[in-house]
Amino acid sequence: MKGDAMNSDAMNGDARLENIAKRLGNGAAARLDVEATARKVVARLREQPVRRVTWVQASWLRIAAALVIVVGGAVAVRQTFVRDSSVHTAHLVADDLNDLSADELRDVLATFDQIISSDSVAVPEGSTDLHELDAQQLRAVLRSLEG
Amino acid sequence: MAHPHMVPAVPPHDAALIRAWQGGDEQAAAELVGRHARPLARFLAGAGAPEADVDDLVQETFIRAFRSVDRFRGQCQFRTWLLTIGGNVLKDFGRRAARRKVLPLDEGVRDWAGDPHEHAEASEAEALLAAGLLQLPRLQREVFLLRAQQGLEYEEIAAALATTPGAARVHYHHAVRRLKEIVK
Repeated sequence: MKGDAMNSDAMNGDARLENIAKRLGNGAAARLDVEATARKVVARLREQPVRRVTWVQASWLRIAAALVIVVGGAVAVRQTFVRDSSVHTAHLVADDLNDLSADELRDVLATFDQIISSDSVAVPEGSTDLHELDAQQLRAVLRSLEG
Repeated sequence: MAHPHMVPAVPPHDAALIRAWQGGDEQAAAELVGRHARPLARFLAGAGAPEADVDDLVQETFIRAFRSVDRFRGQCQFRTWLLTIGGNVLKDFGRRAARRKVLPLDEGVRDWAGDPHEHAEASEAEALLAAGLLQLPRLQREVFLLRAQQGLEYEEIAAALATTPGAARVHYHHAVRRLKEIVK
């Protein structure tokens, strides 16, 4: 009984609130001169027509800016990688093997890996993997490649 | 195949008027203003627009709506879409007013309860409700007005405010709970 009464009170409260809300702003709406408002709106629209062309131009500008960023970024990334690899190759070709570290020597060997048959390379005895060689042994392997 | 309960989101007549306006028919724009101006004025006044500015705010709302009508996809009724634009117009108005320091309260919207002369015709309960609405977050205030004042369904409100019906329902109940404490 008590619960029902509370529910009933709550529903009455909601209904009362909605009734008040329905009246809210009625005075302002009633005083609005709708015809005059419509005339003013139409006049303003006539004075300042919808600028669809401007919108289209703005959209194209955004698309163009996005394309410039994407293409520019791709070119920059590509140039960075190309420059790194070409510099690295030139360095290897130009310098004496004695100046190269073990990692650099392994890089050089890797480039030859596909064109060299296993029987033409003088791999030191007991070694089966180039990664196990030290710098001196790697230099010996490269010199054997030079013939 | 169409869903048996599905109804067109835009009443055919509004949709026809919108198409006519897009084709350059000014009379169609005037007809749309005539049809929706008063509900929009009620909504704006309920949301805290000073009565002296309601006409200007109604005009501005229609101008914005007509200029961006290409973006209206019929996700809700034209009137509901218009009311949400009205909410944005009122928010911008409040910001401008706050910068000019004409309107001192939250979001620059005036305290109705503190201005009894201009709203002398309003009942005490209406004045309390109006003052209470200004204390609510904007979303709660708009959901409450769309539901209680404009009589819209949660699905319609959710479509207009880009939220879910469940979220709209929660906002409404929060608003009601707080407003009841103020109005009782």
